[in-house]
Amino acid sequence: MQVSRIRLHKKKLGVLSPLEMDVLTTLWKRQDGMRVRDIYSALKNKRKVALTSVAVILDRLYEKKIVKRGIETGRGGEHYIYSCRISQKDFEKSVIDKTVNKLIENFGPIAVNYFNERFSKKSG
Amino acid sequence: MIEPLFSSPTCFGAASIIGPDKIFLVLISLTIAFTSLAYLRRTQTTKGKIALVYTHLIFLFFPFFLLSINTTCGVFCLSCHNNVPALALYAVPTSVLAAVATGFIFLPSYFIYTNKRRALKGGHLVRFAAKHSSRLRIRPPNMYVVDKAKPVAFSFRSFRSAIFISVGLLEILNKKEKEAVILHELAHIRARSSAMKVSKSILNVFSPMSLIVKFYDTGKEEEMADDFAIRVQKTSKHINNAKKKMEKFYS
Repeated sequence: MQVSRIRLHKKKLGVLSPLEMDVLTTLWKRQDGMRVRDIYSALKNKRKVALTSVAVILDRLYEKKIVKRGIETGRGGEHYIYSCRISQKDFEKSVIDKTVNKLIENFGPIAVNYFNERFSKKSG
Repeated sequence: MIEPLFSSPTCFGAASIIGPDKIFLVLISLTIAFTSLAYLRRTQTTKGKIALVYTHLIFLFFPFFLLSINTTCGVFCLSCHNNVPALALYAVPTSVLAAVATGFIFLPSYFIYTNKRRALKGGHLVRFAAKHSSRLRIRPPNMYVVDKAKPVAFSFRSFRSAIFISVGLLEILNKKEKEAVILHELAHIRARSSAMKVSKSILNVFSPMSLIVKFYDTGKEEEMADDFAIRVQKTSKHINNAKKKMEKFYS
């Protein structure tokens, strides 16, 4: 996964859009994978969302390599079964890892000194 | 000294002489190519347009094959070297074969085999397509599902016609909307739209001058295909909904 934008003003994990995060959270709850329509049904009670938007978001998450998919034949013809590539814990860890690396890459010693100060404060 | 078989008195190895007879043939060929291009705009029927597209391509390929065969004959010291009637005899069928094979075999095959797809053997959509194919008096097309989340549907009419639908499209449309899309594609197959689209893309690749001749209006073809779906379903609701959903995906 690539960290290209961090949303600092968002309450939730700030690298994905709110809808992407909701879709991902729904998928984490089901290990065996879900159809687009299943995810849509789970989300439509929580927020105003269209089936097409869920399909767009899932394709975007697939392109970001956060979810995987496989074709299944069932009622209504062929459809995708989406599932997460990594667990919620591993995802969050990788986001932190990549964010910290980006900060060090961009700010160098200033970022390292800041982390040192910050962690020594917390431990002290 | 061993004389090569089929040796020609005018053989100079790889060198080829471009004499006035060859220049004359090349000019005639290019004139026919551009005349057919000019007539494309005036021709109304799809069959006529396709015939002109291939005429244009054959005569555009001809000079290339004429000179290539001449050089090859020169390299191998064959009797066809600098023998204009013999060269024309080889170049004409080669140009015809190249143009027809590009349009009817290579491009459709390339497109079919580069798309990850699986054939639909049964089910409602296959039966629905077969039923309406007989209504349109066309052979029932092969149906394929393309492994793509983006909603796309397209059809081909080559040796055997085929309809391709992406998994993404099947996921976001309801039954009636899927039927509307199938009817839309069947109308395209009936009208040989894919042949026109393929011909147009070949022409754009091999003959950039064709870009100035606007002979094919995709908007009209789409309207005609939509009208067929509306006529059969007796409502425009389903085809319009399908289109809206597809547009929403790309917006």
